[in-house]
Amino acid sequence: MKATRVFQLTALALVLVSAVQVGWWLFDQHGYTLERVQAARALYAGQVRAAQALLAAGMAEAQVRELLPDIEVTGGQAALAPAAERALESEAVRRYRQYAWEGSFFLLALAACIAVIGRALRAEARVLAEQDDFLALVSHQFKTPLASLQLSLETMALRPLAPEQSRTLTERMLADLARMEMMVTQILESVRLERGRVDLKSEPVELAGAVGRVVAALEERARAQRIALTSDVAPGLYVLTDPLALDVIVRNVLENALAAVTPVGGGKVAVSARVSDGEVALAVRDSGVGFRPADGARLFEKFSRLHPGGGSSRYGTGLGLYIVKRLMQLAAGRVTAESAGVGQGACFVLTWPAAPVPPA
Amino acid sequence: MSTPAQSAIRVLVVEDDPHLAAGLMENLRAEGYEVAQVGDGRAALEWLRAGSCALIVLDVMLPELDGLDVCRTLRDQGNNTPVLFLTARGDPADRVRGLEAGGDDYLAKPFHLKEFLLRVRAILKRWDWYRGASATAATAVLRFGDNEVDFRAFRARTWNGEPQELTEKEAMILKVLAEHAGEIVSREDLLERVWGYDVFPSTRTVDNFILRLRKRFERDPANPRHFLTVWGVGYRFLAEGEP
Repeated sequence: MKATRVFQLTALALVLVSAVQVGWWLFDQHGYTLERVQAARALYAGQVRAAQALLAAGMAEAQVRELLPDIEVTGGQAALAPAAERALESEAVRRYRQYAWEGSFFLLALAACIAVIGRALRAEARVLAEQDDFLALVSHQFKTPLASLQLSLETMALRPLAPEQSRTLTERMLADLARMEMMVTQILESVRLERGRVDLKSEPVELAGAVGRVVAALEERARAQRIALTSDVAPGLYVLTDPLALDVIVRNVLENALAAVTPVGGGKVAVSARVSDGEVALAVRDSGVGFRPADGARLFEKFSRLHPGGGSSRYGTGLGLYIVKRLMQLAAGRVTAESAGVGQGACFVLTWPAAPVPPA
Repeated sequence: MSTPAQSAIRVLVVEDDPHLAAGLMENLRAEGYEVAQVGDGRAALEWLRAGSCALIVLDVMLPELDGLDVCRTLRDQGNNTPVLFLTARGDPADRVRGLEAGGDDYLAKPFHLKEFLLRVRAILKRWDWYRGASATAATAVLRFGDNEVDFRAFRARTWNGEPQELTEKEAMILKVLAEHAGEIVSREDLLERVWGYDVFPSTRTVDNFILRLRKRFERDPANPRHFLTVWGVGYRFLAEGEP
């Protein structure tokens, strides 16, 4: 990384020096041409004077003309021939034009080089800054479950505990571990998505089955938090996507909905689907904390967590919805989020191109 | 690690992570403290409007209103309840920011349970001492060179009649110096008595506080008569002023 930077900066310096060099060369050539034209004029003036002197000395006009072909002699008067004058002018103009073309070509080429290198340098600086932010956020995210884990373990080491208390602590520690594991998975997933290292299939997937599996996996957690998790997706709807990606997408959106309902002490999360204009839309409606309508787009940014007054939203990594958005983009679909405001619940809509029902 | 006879001491835990909050509460209860808990900054301020406690364990990263703002708001309102900050960021700059916001101590996550409990106890002990040392009519008020300091109200009136609000640290430093009036008190002693831990990187902090006290209470801060520097050792406080 460091060597590339040195190389880029050196190249940038060289290109800048070259641009200055080309500019100087242009200026120098302009002066040189001017000088040459003046020298030629001085030479011609000398010839005119010489012709005049020869005429005065009595040489025949024809002889003078033969001796000095660029000088025109008429009626005892010598002058520069118009053809020679024109040739001089056009030579100067020709050279100026040549320099202008060549110079501007080189300057343009160099400017393009500077732009390319500058862009690369800026992009690299941005990547570095993003990586720093990412690391800071990741370490910050891990410290809370780590602190909780350490506290539980040290409590066990420090105090004699009743079996009931031990069980509570063990469950807490397992939950903290699960949280950290989820974070690692999501972080790796988002990095993979970012680098484009995903090979997604595009095949017809039956939506009701896919949603049903995720709902079944989350039902127990929903019940424990007094959330009614319902799904109303008609069987036989097919969308064109990657089956594994679909699972991750639905899971992340549903987990987000559960996390939004938990802080308000329970409520409901309802999944429904409908078809229109060759598209299938899956809506996930929750009665949770909601968000300010203006924050709708920010929800899907990396590490954005809006904390709309609820504590448990901090359980997340801030990556879940970002992953949903990236995967939806890759699957030629889209995701939108709507809320009437804080405390008003929210609705997430996932839209895919509908797929024809595959032959049985 | 249990210490009895602490049943009346109430601690408020402001932490939004349910597991961490539960763990802290269980351990504080096991040590004999009475514990209350809230999950965000606004709720903490609301709780403190109605209730009072001997110590606030305050997470820095909180929803709604962060811990630093909560602490600043409390100090602005004249609430001097000691604060122990918990934070996921432990670099020195954050530490200083926490203490500048009016915190008493700072613990980075993840932390050791024993250290947490020790710090809680140390903060409470310092406040115990301060309250005990300001309990009687004679010790609650300090008069020197036409200045008057009320240790219980954290207020003062200076020689030119100007009313002053004292921060808890200023009041504690004054208390230590007044208790040892006429004697030399080293910077290390002051650090130990007022902060208790290696929270600040250097004893320079003490010097800064002395400068602030001089500015408040000396007629000519450049030529102090009450807060005297003993070169290379520390400070000496003279109530009647240097002759």
